Amino acid sequence: MNVQPVIELKNISKRFLNLQALDQVNFDLREGETHALVGENGAGKSTLMKILAGIYSEYDGEYLLRGAPLHLMSPGEALHHGIGMIHQELSVMPELSVAENLFLGRQLTRFGFVDWKRMDKIAQDELAKLGFEHIDVRQRLGAYPLGTQQVVEVLRVMISGAQVLIMDEPTSALSPAEVERLIQLIDTLRQTNRSIIYISHFLDEVMRVADRITVLRDGRKVTTLDKTSTNVNELISLILGHAVESAPTHVSESGSQQTLLDVNQLTADVFKDVSLKVGKGEIIGVYGAIGAGHFDLARAIFGMYRYDRGTINVDWHVFPAEFSAAYAIKHGLAYATESRRQSLFMEDAIYRNVTMPHLKQIGMLVPTSQHEMQVAQPVIERVNVQPGDPLNPVGKLSGGNQQKVVIARWLAFPPKVFVMCEPTRGMDVGAKSEVLNILRAFRDQGYGVLVVSSEPETVLAVCDRIIVMSHGDVVAEMVNKNLNKDALMRLL
Amino acid sequence: MSTQTENPQLDAPLGRLRPQSASSVWIRRFTALAPIWTLLVMGIFFSLASPSFARPINLNNILAQIATLAIFGTGMTFVLLTGQIDLSIAAVAGLSGMIAAHLYGNLNYQEPIPLIAGLATATLLGFVGGIASTRFRIPTFMSTLAVSLIAGGLNTYVSKGRTLSEIPDLAIFLGSGRIGGQDGFRVIIIVAALSLLIGHLVLRYTRFGRYVYMTGASLPAARLVGVNTDMIIIITLTISGFMAGLAGIVSMGRLGSAQPVEVPSYLIDTIGAVVLGGTSLTGGRGGIPQTIIGLLIYGTLRNGLDNIPSIDVYLKDFIRGIVLLSALVVNLVFSGKRARDKTN
Repeated sequence: MNVQPVIELKNISKRFLNLQALDQVNFDLREGETHALVGENGAGKSTLMKILAGIYSEYDGEYLLRGAPLHLMSPGEALHHGIGMIHQELSVMPELSVAENLFLGRQLTRFGFVDWKRMDKIAQDELAKLGFEHIDVRQRLGAYPLGTQQVVEVLRVMISGAQVLIMDEPTSALSPAEVERLIQLIDTLRQTNRSIIYISHFLDEVMRVADRITVLRDGRKVTTLDKTSTNVNELISLILGHAVESAPTHVSESGSQQTLLDVNQLTADVFKDVSLKVGKGEIIGVYGAIGAGHFDLARAIFGMYRYDRGTINVDWHVFPAEFSAAYAIKHGLAYATESRRQSLFMEDAIYRNVTMPHLKQIGMLVPTSQHEMQVAQPVIERVNVQPGDPLNPVGKLSGGNQQKVVIARWLAFPPKVFVMCEPTRGMDVGAKSEVLNILRAFRDQGYGVLVVSSEPETVLAVCDRIIVMSHGDVVAEMVNKNLNKDALMRLL
Repeated sequence: MSTQTENPQLDAPLGRLRPQSASSVWIRRFTALAPIWTLLVMGIFFSLASPSFARPINLNNILAQIATLAIFGTGMTFVLLTGQIDLSIAAVAGLSGMIAAHLYGNLNYQEPIPLIAGLATATLLGFVGGIASTRFRIPTFMSTLAVSLIAGGLNTYVSKGRTLSEIPDLAIFLGSGRIGGQDGFRVIIIVAALSLLIGHLVLRYTRFGRYVYMTGASLPAARLVGVNTDMIIIITLTISGFMAGLAGIVSMGRLGSAQPVEVPSYLIDTIGAVVLGGTSLTGGRGGIPQTIIGLLIYGTLRNGLDNIPSIDVYLKDFIRGIVLLSALVVNLVFSGKRARDKTN
C-alpha cells in the first residue's frame, strides 16, 4: 500500500544573503509517523522547520500538503492547515490557568462572554484522554513544573486542531523524568494518527521516539533512515560527515599547579552538585546542549544566579552564600554572557564600554576621557577591534568585533579567572580564531579561563579540559586529548 | 575598489565607520537638535504674536516661572535617566514646605532648623521610595505613588487643613528675594541655575553620573560590570526627594504661605518638561542640558499664551495640551529616535 505523505517538500532551497541555508532538500512526512530531523547547529534544521511552519514564506521548491501545493504566508495560516509548531522556548502564559493556556487565542464564548465552564470541562476531558488527568486545569500553569508546561504547550497545539506537530528541541530544558513523560505523550499522539517532526540534539531520544530520521548537513539532506536500520554511532558520523576529525591539540602541558577557581557541589534549580576547578594557565570548558544548565552555572559563579548549596572559591578566597557581581569582580572574576547585547552598552563608545568596570581604578571621583583612553586604547589595539576608532559606538561593530570589546574590557585590569559564555557564537571563521587566540594568550599569561558553550567546536578548539553537562548534571570530565565532536555529542 | 565596496565598514580610512556625506551629517545634527528648533519656532511665533512677549522683563518672568520646575526637574532628570520615575515630588514638596512653616510658625524653632527639617524629611521620603522599590522589587511607579500618599497625608495631618502664612524668612528670600535691591536679580533663578549646574556636573563628570546613565541604558549590562544598580536607583530617588524638598521651600517662599495641599500640576509639568527636552522615559538618554531646553519650551508656551490677550482664558490649557503633544511628536520624529526594532 503506497500511502500518500501528509507533507512533502521537494527541492527546497533557501538563501540568506551570502549563506545557502538549504540546498535542494527533499523531505516527506507520513501519516502517524514521528520523523526526526538531526544535524549540527547551522545544518539547516531550523530553517527547514520554519518553512514548514510558515515562518519563512520565501523559498524555492515545492511544498505539498496531502498532495496539494501549499504556500504558507504565516504561522497562523499553517495552523489553519493543521500544522502546529512547538517552540524551543516555551510560549505558554504561566499566569493563566491550564485551561486558558490550552485555549489560548481561541477562548470558547457563550453570548459573547468567555465560557469558563465549558472550557474547563473540555480541557479536563482532553487531558484525561491522554493520561494527564492529574493536571488541574483551573490551576495556574506556572505552578506546574517545566515539564508539565511543555506538555500543556504540546496539547495546546494539538487541541487547536493540528494534525502535524513540529517540535523544536522539546526536551532541552526538561529533567529526565519529564522527558519520559513527554516521550509517552508522543507515543499517544502517534496512536491518534498525528504526525510529528521532532528536532533534537539528543540522539538517544531521537532513537527512541522517531520512526524515521533525516540527517541534514551544511544545508543539504544527507539521507533519510529508518530507525530500525541505524544506530547512534552511524547517526553521529552522518551528522559530522564521516571525516571524524582528530581534535586540534592546543592543550597546555600538565595540569595546573595552582587552583584559581574552585567550585564545589554547586546546586540550584537547574544544575546540581557541579564541582569544577580552573587552575592558573588553564582553559576549562563546560559543554552542554542548550538548556543543560551550564549558562546558569556560569551566572551563579559570578553572583548573578541564586544557588542553594555549594561553595565558590577564588584563589583561596571563599565567597559568601550571596554575593554581587561587584563582589565577584573585586575578588578576581570576570564574566561575559552568551548574549553580547546584554553585556554591552550598544550606543556608547567602544572605549567607554572597555573602561566601564574599571572607573574606580581610573579616577577616584571624576574619570576623564583622556585617562579612559589611556587605559582603553592599548587593549582595543591588542584585541584588534576593527574598525578600531575607540570613539565609534559599539553597536555599529560586527558581532565578532563586539565580542573582542567584551574581552578587551577585562584585559585592562585582568581578572584571575575569566568566565566566558559562548565566546565565538555567530562569528565567521576568521573572527572565531582571533577570539580564541586572545583567550589562549590570556591563559598563557597565567590566568584561568572558563569557557561555557553549547558549540562543541569551541570547547574542543581551546580548552585543556572539558566538562560535559546534561540536564543539569555533570556527566563527564576529560582531558582534551584525542577528543572529537562525536565523543562529546555521545555524552549529551 | 569593487572588492572593497562589499564592506563599507572596513574600507574607511583611519578606522572610522563608513564615511558620510556632509549633507547627511548636517541633516542629522539638525534633527538631533529638534527641541532647540521647537523652542526657537515658539519663541519667534510668540514674539510676533504678542508685543509684550520678547521684552526683557517678560523673559525674566519666564525664568522665574520655570525656576521651581527647574529644581524639580534636576532631580527628575536623575531618576528618569536610570529608567525609573518619581511620582511623589509634588506631594513631597508640599510636605517639606509645610514642615518648615509648622516648625517656624507654630513651634518657634530658630532658623535654619525649620528649613533643614523640611529638606531632611523630603530627602528621607525619597530614600524610602528607593529602598522600597529596590529591596522588594516594587516598581518605582508604585513605590513613589505610595510615598506621594504618605507625604500628602502627613501634610494634611501637620497642617490640619490650614494654610500657614507665617513662613521662614530664608524661604521668602529664596522664593521671592532679589539680589541688589528692588530691581535686582531674582534669587529663585539663581537657586534653580545652581541646581541645574551642580546636577549637570555630577551627571557629566563623576563616576556616579556615569553609573546613572549605565543603569538606565542597560540594567543587565550595568550589573555585569559590577555596578550596584539598586544603590544607584536609591541614590537618584534620594536626590529627587531632596530636590523636591528644596523646590517645595522655594515655592512656599514664592507664594508666601505653606499650603495644606500639594500643587498637583508640579508633577505633570516636571515630567513633561524633562521628557520634552529629550530625556528618555526608559532611561540612559538625555541630561541636564536637555532638561533646560525642555523647561524653556514649557515656560515659553505657558507664558506666551498668557501674553496673547485674544485667546479665551478657558481654552488655554486645551491649547497647551495640543501644542505639547505636537512638540513631543515633532521631537521624536525629527530626532530620529523612532525605534526600528518593534519588539521592544
